[in-house]
Amino acid sequence: MSAPTVDYFYSFRSPYSYLSAPRAFALADDFKIDLRFHGVIPMMMRGESVPTAKRLHTLRDVKREADRLGMPFGRIHDPLGEAATRCLAVSEYAVDRRLAREFVLSAGLGIWGEAVDPAADEGLRLIAERAGLDWPGCQAALSDAAIAERVEANTQRLVKIGHWGVPVFVFEGEQFWGQDRIEDLALVLEEAGLQRA
Amino acid sequence: MREKIERELAPRLIVAASTVTLPARVAATARRAAGRRGRLELYFGFDDPASAYAVIDLARRLEGRSVIFDLRAVARRGIEGDPALERKRAYAITDARRLARRLGLTLLRTEPVDPQATAFLAAWVDGAPRGSALTQFTIAAMMQLWFESTGELTAEPYERIWRRCFGSAPPAAGDPASINAVRAAEKQMSRRGPYETPAAWVAGRWFFAQDRPQQIANWLDQLGWSVER
Repeated sequence: MSAPTVDYFYSFRSPYSYLSAPRAFALADDFKIDLRFHGVIPMMMRGESVPTAKRLHTLRDVKREADRLGMPFGRIHDPLGEAATRCLAVSEYAVDRRLAREFVLSAGLGIWGEAVDPAADEGLRLIAERAGLDWPGCQAALSDAAIAERVEANTQRLVKIGHWGVPVFVFEGEQFWGQDRIEDLALVLEEAGLQRA
Repeated sequence: MREKIERELAPRLIVAASTVTLPARVAATARRAAGRRGRLELYFGFDDPASAYAVIDLARRLEGRSVIFDLRAVARRGIEGDPALERKRAYAITDARRLARRLGLTLLRTEPVDPQATAFLAAWVDGAPRGSALTQFTIAAMMQLWFESTGELTAEPYERIWRRCFGSAPPAAGDPASINAVRAAEKQMSRRGPYETPAAWVAGRWFFAQDRPQQIANWLDQLGWSVER
């Protein structure tokens, strides 16, 4: 019997996605679920605007949450644009190599805690190789049209389910938006009869 | 260089500045020395189910702290031209159901409430004196609205609650002073920084009130407004 699935929509430009990742992957371990990673194109690259007040508050709020969760945050390199696109491409390659968790955690730490620039080969290579990925494979993914189509499909899927932001989790059609709703998702998983390992 | 500033230095500076607490702590100490209480401003909407959760939850968390619970109802807020506005309003019901469960409550409504239908409640609250009667009214009104009723709103049950809490009739509909008080609350919210409800503002910092109760409690503790035994 296959494991129950939870879809996980994530943006490399979203610090809330970064905060969610360790607990999201831990949840998959705890409940033995198939957590399906879907990297999506950042809102601001989809033509949606983010007001300055929101951008400023997000940085302050995430810092407080990161401190609470014991995660590094503050040495930032904003990946808007090329860096996010490259991370998305390599994340699809990582999915194929069953290293999505490793890559997502490595990239999140690099972008939000170490000011690594994935738009540069040096930065992306550092992130990818410490996740266990081979650099030639990553380079090939960057120019692979099929991989770019998968990223676009992920993004369209988020739009299709009617959601606007990330991270979003979907279990049996029910959506959970935000890194602070993982505990609610866990409750629903328990109610669905899944037991923590 | 500009790229470096925008992508790295500016965000780093904003984050670093957000960790500075000394001025706020000194101000709080001076406030206590002058015999004054702390203040938590909560910007909320009666049409917003997450606000219902925040009002009830924060009232409980402020018990035992020498902090004024300054309730400021707003009607107009949000990101101008937000393309996701209607989706957010619909999702807010689903989300608030989960929040309510944390308080042991069950959300009865399944559809968003029209902000215009609750405008009279915002006017009552913003025109009223701050204090325990107002807190009691707001909690009871939120309970009535989201956890004890469905369907169309009428003023009658809320008038009863008001009389019970204040011992007098609520302001007349369309009372200009009350309406102006709502506009003033909206302006103040905008000046403070929040763009959505519910938002709590305490000594220079604001928080999503439904999601950050622990951060709010920690900040009050840092300022010295801890629970008194």
